Amino acid sequence: MAADTSIREALASAVADVLERMFFREALGEAAEPPPEAGTVTVNLTFDGDPPGDFRMRIARPAADTIAADFLGEDAESLTPRQSADVALELANMICGAVLSRVESRATFRLGAPQIAAGDTGPLAPAEENRYTVETGSGTLTVAIRMNTLACPKTETFVS
Amino acid sequence: MAYRVLIADDSPAMRSFVRRTIELSGFELSACFEASDGAQALALLQHEWVDAILTDINMPGVDGEELLRRLSSDELLRAIPAIVISTDATQNRIARLLALGARGYVTKPFRPETLRAELERTLGVPSD
Repeated sequence: MAADTSIREALASAVADVLERMFFREALGEAAEPPPEAGTVTVNLTFDGDPPGDFRMRIARPAADTIAADFLGEDAESLTPRQSADVALELANMICGAVLSRVESRATFRLGAPQIAAGDTGPLAPAEENRYTVETGSGTLTVAIRMNTLACPKTETFVS
Repeated sequence: MAYRVLIADDSPAMRSFVRRTIELSGFELSACFEASDGAQALALLQHEWVDAILTDINMPGVDGEELLRRLSSDELLRAIPAIVISTDATQNRIARLLALGARGYVTKPFRPETLRAELERTLGVPSD
């Protein structure tokens, strides 16, 4: 599916809104998507709805830890890896829900359970998918969403 | 007056955030209980009375919708106001959950004052 401007705008707006309201952090503007590397946290989740699809988020480890500390009201140094992962899962859940609420405002959707992708250093998503990268102040956050369009069956013409 | 609140959410990070947000907002809490799903919430309500329930929708096992159904069908528990906290801001979902018995709905992301205002409205606390 080709990138859709309205979905991309929804991604940008949802990221800014979630970071500001729930993580007390200002999105510092769009950034170049960094190449895949170790030391990032990747979260995948699927959703049912009209249409269904999947959502991915990749965040630099320092950004994940800082954001988790802000969210939980603790020092970044005292966070456990589990706490940081839990907050990353919640961040992905909130951004995906906020995007879908913007683009499917009349439909009902259901989010699956977000999952940490272990050892994932591959590309986040194909280049043509809707994606957005933002600088958080302690590293980049990239989100990508794919909406699955249902293929209509081909119609056949019978000539008698 | 201080209130007893139950937070039902499968995310420990979200439970912690909601609890801290309520406390920092100045809302008076005398007790705050946590449950990781609807079943645990219902079990806790067998021996603890609360003034309000804050619940997520998507939880494993007994989810938020089923929790609302079970609360509504219980003669005692239906008196406890339940507020849904969810990422889903679609009108269909909000209408559905209010029809199931939710007394309030807060969409994530929310500002701390929004959560406090919804709690106060639901509990009939006079505004400052």
